[in-house]
Amino acid sequence: MDRRRLALGRAKLGRAALGRAVLTVLPLAFLGYFFAYPVGRILLMSAGEGWGNLNTPRLAGTVWFTFWQASVSTVATLLLAMPLTWALSRVSLPGRRTFTALVTVPFVLPTVVVGSAFVALGWTGSVWAILAAHIFYNVAVVVRLVGGVWSRLDPTIWEASAVLGARPARRFWNVTLPLLRPALAAAAAIVFVFSFTSFGVVLILGQLRYRTLEVAIYEAATSFLDLPSAAALSVLQLACVALLLATAGRLSNRLAPPRLTTSLASPRRSRRTAGIVVAVSFGLLAVPLLALARRSVGGFSALATRPTGLGSPLAAVANSLRTAALAAVLATLVGLPLARMGAGRRWGRAIDLLVMLPLGTSAVTVGLGFLVALGEPVDLRTSPLLIPIAHSLVAVPFVVRATGPLLSAIRPAIREAAAVLGANRQQVWTTIERPIVARAAALGGGMAAAVSLGEFGASAFIVRPESTTLPVLIARLLARPGAVNFSAAMALAVVLMGVTGLLVLAVDRLGEPRW
Amino acid sequence: MSLTVRDARVRLDGTAALDGAELTVASGEVVALLGPSGSGKSTLLRAIAGLLALDAGSVWWGGEDLTSIPAHQRRFGLMFQDYALFPHLSVAGNVGYGLRMEGNEAPAIKRRVAEALSWVGLDGQGNRRIDNLSGGEQQRVALARTLVPSPRLVMLDEPLGALDRQIRGRLMSEIRQLLEERRTTAVYVTHDLEEAVAVGQRLALMRSGKIVQTGTLDQLRSEPADLWVEAFLR
Repeated sequence: MDRRRLALGRAKLGRAALGRAVLTVLPLAFLGYFFAYPVGRILLMSAGEGWGNLNTPRLAGTVWFTFWQASVSTVATLLLAMPLTWALSRVSLPGRRTFTALVTVPFVLPTVVVGSAFVALGWTGSVWAILAAHIFYNVAVVVRLVGGVWSRLDPTIWEASAVLGARPARRFWNVTLPLLRPALAAAAAIVFVFSFTSFGVVLILGQLRYRTLEVAIYEAATSFLDLPSAAALSVLQLACVALLLATAGRLSNRLAPPRLTTSLASPRRSRRTAGIVVAVSFGLLAVPLLALARRSVGGFSALATRPTGLGSPLAAVANSLRTAALAAVLATLVGLPLARMGAGRRWGRAIDLLVMLPLGTSAVTVGLGFLVALGEPVDLRTSPLLIPIAHSLVAVPFVVRATGPLLSAIRPAIREAAAVLGANRQQVWTTIERPIVARAAALGGGMAAAVSLGEFGASAFIVRPESTTLPVLIARLLARPGAVNFSAAMALAVVLMGVTGLLVLAVDRLGEPRW
Repeated sequence: MSLTVRDARVRLDGTAALDGAELTVASGEVVALLGPSGSGKSTLLRAIAGLLALDAGSVWWGGEDLTSIPAHQRRFGLMFQDYALFPHLSVAGNVGYGLRMEGNEAPAIKRRVAEALSWVGLDGQGNRRIDNLSGGEQQRVALARTLVPSPRLVMLDEPLGALDRQIRGRLMSEIRQLLEERRTTAVYVTHDLEEAVAVGQRLALMRSGKIVQTGTLDQLRSEPADLWVEAFLR
């Protein structure tokens, strides 16, 4: 008697094992060929002449700017986001959940749209615009991560410290802040890495007067056609990010998680204060978006009547949608099996690290790697699949993170429970596994499509005239002189914001932890 | 009809998880399978359910040899230790799952699910989501899901294990009542003597993959098979 056949209720075990092997190997092969190999080539390339080409004083200036703007962005984001975080996590305001959802909108906007919004405010070419854009972007990170913990802190600890004679300010300083420190450290690390590797915002708002390493890589490769230098810069940036993440990881591991409960007490006075905080914060967040909308007036008719000289905007919209659809399919095919493997405890950490690497590696480096590595044996650099593949690499971490919790619901015990209740192997698949996988696929695909719609860094490198995407077209229009080009760019940014916003709202509903 | 397990042997990871276990459960009888953790209680249930194949021995229902019949054709019910509720289905979806697999019509399923929910005190709560239920409510849903297709044998694997003391007592008597009212043939696994005596009409003591002795508490206490049994029941 074949015990496995009995346990699984099926005969074709060989085929199932083969299927599992394919599902394991293919995603790894995909990441290997399209991520590890190109990035590896860049490492090799930089080891040669790359370092020698670098202009040292200029590089020092770039590295210094990258570091200090990321530091200032991080500190300013934390300071400015804390009042809003408090208001949304500690006070029972009406519409609190809606506001918490709305605060995520800036975070998911394409970098090009955020850059454009600040251009619309007339802040171009200043370092303040770059810092403001980074803050605008990252407020959501703090509200979500820190607010998540803050809202569940046990209120009795404040009562205890109040009874012991601590005034409100001291209570915040001595009790609240230490308990929030792990969440603050995690949020700070994320904001810092995003600001450190910032590309679209800095390219558009800095106008090459201010450049991060990421912009310098792009410039070296596209303006000076100096791929070895670009490779060396990529390696430098990779090392910085890896060091940062490792340090942040060590820091947050050392901090004990606070005791959590769920309760929300809010006296009337704090509700009024919280209301003012929310109104002011949302007012400020709305300013750039309103400016964007206002400056787009006239842009739509300009788009309809006058050729941009950069290809048809409708074609760019179509390209973006087609690319997003393909990237969604690819990222889901690669991400779901990885998420499934990650859900098993044995491989969890390794898979997690593996899929987070492309995120830590900047998109610009990925794009550069494609140009360097994918010319042979088959020249993929002209393939229409190239951009969707690049986008899917950037999207896979999001797919894995989002779908992992859903897929971990498929435990052996669930399948066994179905079998005992009379479901055969086929019925277990159709009634238990397939609905769960389908939902995870929809969620992952939606996330990937949203990431793809806004992706700019890798696209800027590898886009060809006939495959221009919306963010690339917007950036090119902004780089041109003339009011018509400007309002056309604003109009396209509004379109991109609308499409991304709708998609994210839909995905947010799917991503609710409940079924 | 009665359940008979003969000389069941299963090796798992190189050790004998079942080492010649023998068990008989008469029609309408509730046997409490009692033993320390790691003695093979859950393994025996999984083997009876058909989730785990025997290396040797056999499982019979009356005169029918079930040894090589897959789990989904045995018409046995098993309530899992951690409930194993389907997270993507509602309370009603979970409870009605077995009826759906039998190919019942939707109205009949709906009616019988409503009925089952009232047995376990969850009337009208069929639309709730699984992740909104408390531990005790999940336990009731799992119990209803196990009982509603009227399986010919019901197996309960430490059904009260994950609950706190206060609700344990109440649920224990509810389970006993449900099983008695329906004259269900059942195996009730526990490591708690008090619980075993309260629910089971007969005890089966298990140790190291074997059933050491069966009988009522009085029988076992007056004539313990060995010193271990005597110590265990003290």
